Amino acid sequence: MESVESAEEKTGSMSAAQLRAERRRRKLLLTSEDRMNRIVGFAKNDPDNSGASRRPTEPHFHLDLDRTEPWSSSSPSSRASPFLSETPGARSHTATPERRGSPLPDFSELRRASLEDDVGGGLRQRAKGERAASDEVSGSPRRGLHQYLSRFDDAMKLRSQLANEKPAQEEGSDIEEFDPFRVFRLVGSVLLAVFVRVFVCKYLSIFAPFLTLELAYMGLSKYFPKVEKKTKTTVLTAALLLSGIPAEVINRSMDTYRRMGDVFSDLCVYFFTFIICHEILSLFGSETP
Amino acid sequence: MATGCAWFLVLGSVFLCNLMKILLPTISSFLSKMVQKDAEQESEMRTEIQQMKKEQSSISMMDEFARYARLERKINKTTDKLKTHVQSRTAQQAKMKWVVNIVFYILQAILMVSLIWKYYSDPVTVVPSKWIAPVERLVAFPTGVAGGVGITCWLVVCNKVITLGLNAFS
Repeated sequence: MESVESAEEKTGSMSAAQLRAERRRRKLLLTSEDRMNRIVGFAKNDPDNSGASRRPTEPHFHLDLDRTEPWSSSSPSSRASPFLSETPGARSHTATPERRGSPLPDFSELRRASLEDDVGGGLRQRAKGERAASDEVSGSPRRGLHQYLSRFDDAMKLRSQLANEKPAQEEGSDIEEFDPFRVFRLVGSVLLAVFVRVFVCKYLSIFAPFLTLELAYMGLSKYFPKVEKKTKTTVLTAALLLSGIPAEVINRSMDTYRRMGDVFSDLCVYFFTFIICHEILSLFGSETP
Repeated sequence: MATGCAWFLVLGSVFLCNLMKILLPTISSFLSKMVQKDAEQESEMRTEIQQMKKEQSSISMMDEFARYARLERKINKTTDKLKTHVQSRTAQQAKMKWVVNIVFYILQAILMVSLIWKYYSDPVTVVPSKWIAPVERLVAFPTGVAGGVGITCWLVVCNKVITLGLNAFS
């Protein structure tokens, strides 16, 4: 009997200590969300909401303990973890609060018991009424908070990528990669320029064969092994990503820009070779009697 | 009208500029070595530190603690001196690199501007205008000569080709 009494005393003291710890933790989480809301620029009445909704969390804890889902984060108004995708169910529910179970079932049971002692049924009813009002107000700040946090994470990742790629870019910023298809294109442009200078230029413009050649390259590109070109994270791509432009759009734009660059390179090589051939032929033509 | 070898002069200038750009790091390190006066002092300090460390390794700390500690202090002092020396040398090298780069880019700009000034109204070469139709005006810019190849077009083309060529060889 004595042992049972002492065990009960211990559990009672533990539950009080745990309750205090739980309250402290909740308070810290509430203030953190207030801070984030202020940063995001929402809700001057957020403290009021958080204060008012603190009490609703206690019955939430009580109701939520039967759930087996992992705990994400606790908040006065069911704020999910910034690193988890926000699901409508996580926010919209009223009967299933945000605190998803507890790591220690014994602790949850004790807490439930202590919470039941502390909080009356009237509080629960009041909580339900307040929840409906606070959900609407806290929904948009939460979304903004999630968006802000996700953008912040993206910015940090891009920053680290930029820092890693900066030394490589400093060493070889102008070096272009010569894959087989690129070499084929350049050689083809040179040969065509020589051919056009010798045989074709008297009859039509030199750019007509060049355009035909580029069309042929477009068709031939699929027969060459595709070299996966690593998209470098530059300040421009990072700025575009952070401004909300989808990565796919950026990749396509960069790909188009790269293709245009290839065509321009071909044109320069073609025209250069043509002029050099012309000058050499003119020189030999002027030297021959 | 176009001078005989204007195209070759422009081509040579662009080639020289691109080649110098590739050789800039080498030039800056060579110049910094020339300017640096106390390069031998650094190698002497390194040798001295190595010798002291070798001597220290042969001493037993338990038996000759005083000597060991003296050597340790000397090593630390020389190492600090070496670090300071290396830092100043690195700063000097960075400064030299910056100066060389600035001088190069200024000279390159002067060269390009002088070429454009010289061949502003004369094309570098002339071909029959129907060969380069329909972009003869663009190619001839700023000369306005029918069938001529303007300095700007030729500069862009030469720069691109020479860059490609030097990248391929490097």
